[in-house]
This record gives sequence, structure tokens and C-alpha cells, in this order.
Amino acid sequence: MIYYGRSVRARGYYCLSALGLIICLMLVSACTPREAANQGATREITDDLGRRVSIPAKVDRVISLAPNLTEIVFAVGAGDRLVGRTSYCDYPPEAKAIPVVSDTLHPNLERIIALKPQVVLVSTASQLEVFTQQLKGQNIAAFVTDPHDLEGVFRSIDQIGEIVGEKDKANVLVQKLRERTNAVEQAVRDKQPVKVFYQASGEPLYTAGHDSYITDLMRRAGGASVTADVPGAWPKFSNESALAARPEAIILPTGGSMGAANANVAEALRQSPAVLQGRVYKINDDHLSRPGPRLVDGLEEMARALHPDAFGT
Amino acid sequence: MTLEGHNITVAYDHRIAVADVTLSLKQGEITSIIGPNGAGKSTLLRTLNGQLPRSSGAVLLDGEPIERLNRRSISRRIAVVAQEAELRFPVTVVEFVLGGRFAWATHSGWGWETERDVDIAESVLRETELSDLSARLMNELSGGERQRALMARALATEAPILLLDEPTANLDLSHQATLLSLVRARCDQRRAAALVVTHDINLASEFADNILLMKQGRTVHSGKPEQVLTPEILHDVFEIRVLVDAHPVTGGPRITPVHEPISVNRDSRSV
Amino acid sequence: MNRVTLRKTIIACAAMAAALLLAIVLMSLLGSEPLPVRASLCALASFGTNACGLTQDQFDILFQIRLPRILLAAAVGGSLATAGAGYQALLRNPLAEPYLLGISNGAAVGTMIALVFFGAIEWTRPILAFSGALLATLAVYRLARGRAGATPERLILAGVIVTTFLSSVIVFVTVLMDATRIRSFTFWLLGDLSGASKTLLPVTIVIAIAGALALTLHARSLNLLMLGERDAFDLGVEVGRVRIVVFLVASLLVGSSVAASGSVGYVGLVVPHLARLSLGSDNRITIPAAALGGALFVIVADTVARTVIAPRELPVGAITALIGAPLFIYLLRRA
Repeated sequence: MIYYGRSVRARGYYCLSALGLIICLMLVSACTPREAANQGATREITDDLGRRVSIPAKVDRVISLAPNLTEIVFAVGAGDRLVGRTSYCDYPPEAKAIPVVSDTLHPNLERIIALKPQVVLVSTASQLEVFTQQLKGQNIAAFVTDPHDLEGVFRSIDQIGEIVGEKDKANVLVQKLRERTNAVEQAVRDKQPVKVFYQASGEPLYTAGHDSYITDLMRRAGGASVTADVPGAWPKFSNESALAARPEAIILPTGGSMGAANANVAEALRQSPAVLQGRVYKINDDHLSRPGPRLVDGLEEMARALHPDAFGT
Repeated sequence: MTLEGHNITVAYDHRIAVADVTLSLKQGEITSIIGPNGAGKSTLLRTLNGQLPRSSGAVLLDGEPIERLNRRSISRRIAVVAQEAELRFPVTVVEFVLGGRFAWATHSGWGWETERDVDIAESVLRETELSDLSARLMNELSGGERQRALMARALATEAPILLLDEPTANLDLSHQATLLSLVRARCDQRRAAALVVTHDINLASEFADNILLMKQGRTVHSGKPEQVLTPEILHDVFEIRVLVDAHPVTGGPRITPVHEPISVNRDSRSV
Repeated sequence: MNRVTLRKTIIACAAMAAALLLAIVLMSLLGSEPLPVRASLCALASFGTNACGLTQDQFDILFQIRLPRILLAAAVGGSLATAGAGYQALLRNPLAEPYLLGISNGAAVGTMIALVFFGAIEWTRPILAFSGALLATLAVYRLARGRAGATPERLILAGVIVTTFLSSVIVFVTVLMDATRIRSFTFWLLGDLSGASKTLLPVTIVIAIAGALALTLHARSLNLLMLGERDAFDLGVEVGRVRIVVFLVASLLVGSSVAASGSVGYVGLVVPHLARLSLGSDNRITIPAAALGGALFVIVADTVARTVIAPRELPVGAITALIGAPLFIYLLRRA
């Protein structure tokens, strides 16, 4: 036990109180909510988590925290209203001029606040539900999208169009995407669905499960996913079950921002009918992992791969 | 079997722990080192078994410099009894004592104890009166019993040279004498040599053949108990007044310290 | 229980080896795809020469997927338990464990660096993992050492420091990789035995056996080291040399396991502790028993991980932590 003399203790007390005061001031300033950016009218939109989000009537400062959301904003013609993006948002090329506020997993709250957005668009693919609570405390609206199928993606486009005030352009875009989707579905309507395995990652083996929009996509492309009933969105899958499933075709999302990863079929599938018949299809990952307008590109590519004869190729 | 130290000096960080000490342990004799705290007694002991490096001087075991010998060959000839480290794993008394046979193992890190090893362990357990406790865990023993187990382990090594650092520290009166009697018996019967570092001057007086008095790293006096345990010499070393008379039973010097009350000066600040 | 003899050791080890063999056979019958029991046993007994009526797929599942995975689990479990026993003797503390001390993290950093910079060349992974584990071991040793050896408090503190530092390094390296690989890495950092590679599996097995043998050959020295470095020195142990051997062997064991399967935690804590509880602290029996017991433990844990939510899989580290963490708390309270 060390005994401090009186003068040392007094100094200690002063230091502690000063520190305590500084900490209190910091907490108070952090807790004080910002002035609402728009005191004007607001509207309410329900996001994919069932939250009723209050959005200002006119939105001209938006931040996107996922690559697919950035693509949607640009696709509805609101690229000029985007003030922040993630480091992975690389499409369209104009997006690269926008300041970066995070990678998809670690958003920089300070930088986001500094850019004074009215709405922040969040994708649950990035698992940011906790973060949305922090944004609420700053009077910044956080809108969460979480599509489980293609319809859900179209809805995201419509909702984001409404948020940024480009409802008409969004409607036109969704209409065109629907036409393309219908064309694909028509083409493969009479074909026998192909047993397909979607390999999201090879070692360890991850696939698309029941809750993933990929499963819906594959169905529309004329495939029958062997993992369609597996619970969850992106389950880690047993090697044995993959082998036993004997898929006739394998989809490998690779390239794009993913680079050379996932370019090889998993070991357990090397003897599958798909491999033995050469039906392993590499598709640009950016067309499959980003639930946005380019997902329909992915749909078309998958359909062409699974049913080449239906498309005159 | 001889252990000699010539002009041993141990210095670290500007502090000199042992300065130019020469001593030699003879077979059949107990040498005791006494001195105030910080005199360098334990440091000297640790230098003699090769654990602490010296700044200068030589330590010779059977005429050979101790640096040239390997660890096991030293441990067969020198055994140390010191304060025990904290035991965090459950170990029985007999396992603990058998540890003393390690230096005699034919394969260095592996191998199993021989029949002879077990016999020796049982015999030293008898000598230290621990036979009844042989199957118990070391943690279950009292401080004094653990000290005896340490002694038993050292005896199990059958080393002819014993270095003991405060061996009676935790022992009650009856066991203090028993332990040193054991050492005495080893020296007499098996021609062992022992070095005992202790604070207990009367025990040293009773059991030691030679006494070395150390102060601030130096040997200030050495010789037989009757020669060095005098009031003048003890005052010089410990800076305390003592009375020395003849022990009624053994006849050797009996030292009684004289405690003077501390005077409190009215002007001085309180401590 | 007086003292450990050669006879007791042989009996205990033979019993555990038999249990291990039984486990290998039984667990290879379990999995997300049902296999016919009789045919599978027949095929196993013939060492894969006779298919005994199994279809090609079933045969492949049994011999190409399940059995390699079970053997990897055995090698990883044995390695980690042996390393744990070694660290406990070296640091003189029954709570020393490669995962808790951050040594597994060190190996993980090494493996990640190998994956990022030398991705395709598999043998760089165990080598860099070994280096990472060695550096982490040195760091923990320096931080935890006091005059009384590593007290539980110093050890845990040292472990926390090394673990948190290395975790930040892992996050830093993860940022160098793209987002899509992050999820699979998280899984791997909790232990994943699904990637039994044809080149690394034999290496992992050989290292597990060699490491256990190496530490067992020093078991008697470790017995003394465990009770105090100074006492061990006095009694004739070459403390410096034994320390280096344990450092190197334990780091190699942790490195090879983590490179093959990620960090599987608590094995080095639970298994040696149970071995000591039932067989005593003599390392001549507890090290081989821990090696065999660790293999058994991880095989069973991995079978649970790959069957309980089939066809999905849990990371095996989640199962070992479920068992190990409560045990750790219990041990901490008793210490």
C-alpha cells in the first residue's frame, strides 16, 4: 500500500475533476441532437425491416453504404444528390468521384455526420442494424433495404426513387427491368429446370439459401437450386451434402470487384455431373451480389448459361 | 568431494553483492554463514552451485571449474535446500521427493525411476519423518512439513555436498533441531559437507564446525564457533549488544541479544 | 494414487488409443448425408479397397470427405492439447492455453499473411503460422514472467495484451482483403475443419505425432520445471535448453493446427486439465494422454458441429468454446 502525501492527493483530485468535466462536456455535445436539416414537411416510408422512416419532403443529400444502393441511386438519375459512398462502390464510373465514408462493415460516423446527409441508405447485406440506431440519435434518417427476391429488389428501386424525388424515372427503370425479366422467364418456361448449385465461396463452402434473392433468381432463370430449402440466406454448407446433391450446373460468382477469388470449384464438387460435363459457369460477381439494376444482367447471364438453346446461342 | 570458492566477487548494477570471498567446504564438516540482511549470504550460496554468474574469482568442484561441468554432473554432487516456490500443480510427497533422483536418470528427459530410486526415496522419507504423509499432496502439508519434504528431496539426491539456505525458517522448535541433526548425521556418517545459511545464531553455534561472518559482501571473520561468537565480533557485524555464555548442555557459545528500548526525542518528528 | 509408473502409463495410453480408434470409426458413420452402416463399416475395415456395395458417391463421401476431416480433427485436437500441456508446464500455470494467450492469434496472423501474399503456395501457411505462433509465445513469456513464475494474474494479463494486439493486426490484414472474403474469414477464425487439404493433412498429422513424442521425451524435465525453474535447475535440469525445446515444439504444434483449420479454442485448456485430474500431474502420462484425449475431443466436437444443423455447419470452435468457457471460469474460481 502506497500512501500519498496530502499535496499529491490534492493535485490528484484536481486532475480527476478536470478530466471528469471534460468527459461530461464531450458526452453532452455528443448527445445533443443536431438541428433537423429540413424543418419542412416530411413523409414516411416503411423500409424492409418494417421501420417507418421519416424522410424530408425534398432530399438532396444522400449517403449510400452499399455498392448496390449506389448503383440504384445513379440508375434513377439522382447521382448528383449522392454525397458519400463506400470504398467498394465502383459502378457506375461516376461514382468514384464521390467521397468515401466507409468500407461496408465499418462506417465512419464522424465523416457521415460531417457530410450532413438527410438520408443514409443501408443494406443488411452489410449487417449495419446497430449502426442505424446511432444515426437515429443524430436526426439522420436511416433507410434499410433487405430484398429476399427479385420483386424485393424492384421495390427497393421504387422506394429509393421516391426518396430522392425521382419516382417517375424509377418507375420507368423498373418497367424495363420487368420486361427483360419476363422475356427470360418466357424463354425458359417450357424447359426442364436444371439442377444448379450456387457456390458463393469454395473453401470454406458457402452457398445461397432459402432467404437469398439468388434462389429466386435461379428459379426464374430456369434452374432448380439444390439448396433452395436450406434455411438462412448464405449458409455454410456441408461438403458431403454438396457432393450428394449432384448438381448438373454450378454457378461461380467471380471477377468484378471480387478479383480472382472463387474462381475454382470446391474440392467436394470436382466429381459432380456439372464438372464432368463442363457446365461450370463463371458470372461477374458484381451482377449477382449487388441487388440492384444489374441483377437482371446476372439473371440473363444465368439463363443463357443454363439454357443456351432457349436464346439462340 | 570438495567445493571451493576463490576470491569470488559478484557485482551487478553498481552494487557489489559479494566481494572477494574465499571459502572451502571440507568433508564431514558443517560450515555456517551468518550475517545481517543484504550481506550477500544467499548470493554466495547461489554462486557456489553455479546458478549465479560471478564477476571474478573461481568456483571449483572436486578441483574442476564449475563452468566446465554439465548440469547433471553438478546436481549429483551438490544439492540445494532453499525456500520453496509456490506449487500450482497437485503432486504427491513421494513424487516430489523422487524428483531428487532426476540427476541419476540414465536418459536425461525421459525414463522411469528404478527400484533403487524408490528405495532411496522411502528411506529419506523415513529419515525426515514423512513416511505417513508420502501419498498426500504437497499442498495439503503444513509449512514445516513441506520444508522437511524439501530436505528429503535434497537427501534423495545422495549428493555429498549440501547447500542449505535458511532451512529452518518455517520449522517449529522440535523440527529445527531434527533437521540440522539430519545434516549433522550425513556429515558424520557419510562424509558429506554442508553449508548452512541461517539467521539463527544459536543453531549455527550448536551444529556448525566453522562459522563465516559476512557483512556487506565481505567475510569479516571466520573460524570455530568459540573463536568468532564473541560479543565484540558480533557487535561489529550486527551492531547490536549481545551476551555470550556457555550453553548449559552443549558447552558451546550461547548468544543472547540485549534489547535496549528506543529513545524518543521530544523534538524529533514522528515516524 | 501414489506415483506414476511405466505400467500405468501404458495401460492408460492403450485405453485412450482404443477409444480414439473407436471414435474415428463411429464418427465416420455420422454426417449430413446418411450412409448405410454395415456397408460403411465393411469398407472402412478393408481400408478402402473394397466398396462393399456403397455407391461411388457414398464411397467418396466416406473416404474423400469424412475420413480426411476426422483425421484432421484428430491431428488438430492432439496438437493443441499437447501444446497446452507444454505451455502449462513451461509457464508453471494450469491456465496457460494457446487460444487464451493469443498464440493461436499469432498463428492466424501468420496464416493470413501467407494467404494474402502467397495464396496458392500451400506450404507457406504452416511455416508462417509457426513463425507467428513463436513470436506470440515469446511476447507472452516476456510479459508474464515474474520472479515467481507466471502467476494467474500476470498470465491472463499477458494473454489479453497479446490477443487484443494481434486481433487488431488481424482486422488490419482483413481490410486488405475484399469484403466478400471477410465472412469466410470470420468462420475460419473460429475453427473450420472442412478444408482438409491433401497436401497439408499428412504434414499436420506428422507434426502432431512428432510434437507429442518430442514433449513426452522431455516429460521428466517438465515435471521438475513445472514446480519451479530454480528448483529444476538445482536438481539437474538444463532449464534453458528445455525451455527452447518447449517453445519451438509448442509453437510448431499451434502453427500447424491453425494453418490447417483456424483457431480452435479451449482444447489446450480442457483436455490437459481433465488428464491431470484423472491421471495426476506427471507429464510422462499426461502429455500422451492429452494428445490422445485432445484428438478424441475435437473429433466429437466437430461431428456435433457438422451434424447438429445439417446440411449447414457450425464452426467447431463454437462447440469447443461452449464446453471450454464454463470450465475455464470454474478453474479460475478454484485457482
